[in-house]
Amino acid sequence: MTAPRSGARRTLADFSLPSEPGNERLAMEEVAAVVSGLGLPEKTLEKLKTAVAEAALNAMEHGNHYRAELPVFIEVSVSDTDLSVKITDEGSGPPSFHSETPDLEAKLKGVQTPRGWGLFLIKHMVDEMRVSGDEAHHTIELIMHLDGRAEGGK
Amino acid sequence: MSVRHLEVEVRPTQSGAVLDLHGEINGFSEEALDTAYQQAEATNPEAIILNFEDVDYINSTGIALIVSLLRKARASERHFLAYGLSDHYFEIFEITRLSDFMGIYPDEQSALSGASVS
Repeated sequence: MTAPRSGARRTLADFSLPSEPGNERLAMEEVAAVVSGLGLPEKTLEKLKTAVAEAALNAMEHGNHYRAELPVFIEVSVSDTDLSVKITDEGSGPPSFHSETPDLEAKLKGVQTPRGWGLFLIKHMVDEMRVSGDEAHHTIELIMHLDGRAEGGK
Repeated sequence: MSVRHLEVEVRPTQSGAVLDLHGEINGFSEEALDTAYQQAEATNPEAIILNFEDVDYINSTGIALIVSLLRKARASERHFLAYGLSDHYFEIFEITRLSDFMGIYPDEQSALSGASVS
């Protein structure tokens, strides 16, 4: 499988998973399998997997409150310039991430909670992150640029 | 793919207590980590050494659990070290700055040596 050479975006997969603890790993592995034919460098693939897992974890935990009957929807698409993974939950209101930038020294002093790493990790793993939402859904879109990406790159 | 819930074996050495981690470090891992840490601490080691060689997944909740262990170790003035991280998770330990506060080594021999001299 190769990325299309036109400006068109092509959907590679569209699936959902129940919001149950641990299912973020299934999301990660499924996306990894879907993009396996794109020839992403190993380092890029590992970063994408972590970003997908963290976004799915947030969607299941904070968006759908681990209600198994509420699925998390995942859409993987590719164009000639980028790979996109959209992860949508059924939460309402603004997407809920820890808004505080994690500060390890503050966490070690007990000033910050030990948690709150999800958004921070995602931002460091992907080239772009877009967050959107309405009254019934939150979507986080993870984007990896494909142009010029070579083995050993980000 | 099945979930590999974390199992931890505590192994005393002359340089400190090694926690051999097997499985995933995530929200399911808190009890196993806390129990192992308490078991290790009972021998009053100078260093707690985490062996990540058989860990293939760490999520943000797992990072938080490691932060909690690091905090405990610092409170009791124990050295806190790790070895066996994959390149990807080594990078995550750098991004989160965990590597600034704990010794990270490529293998057990270098970690034990590091524990002895630190």
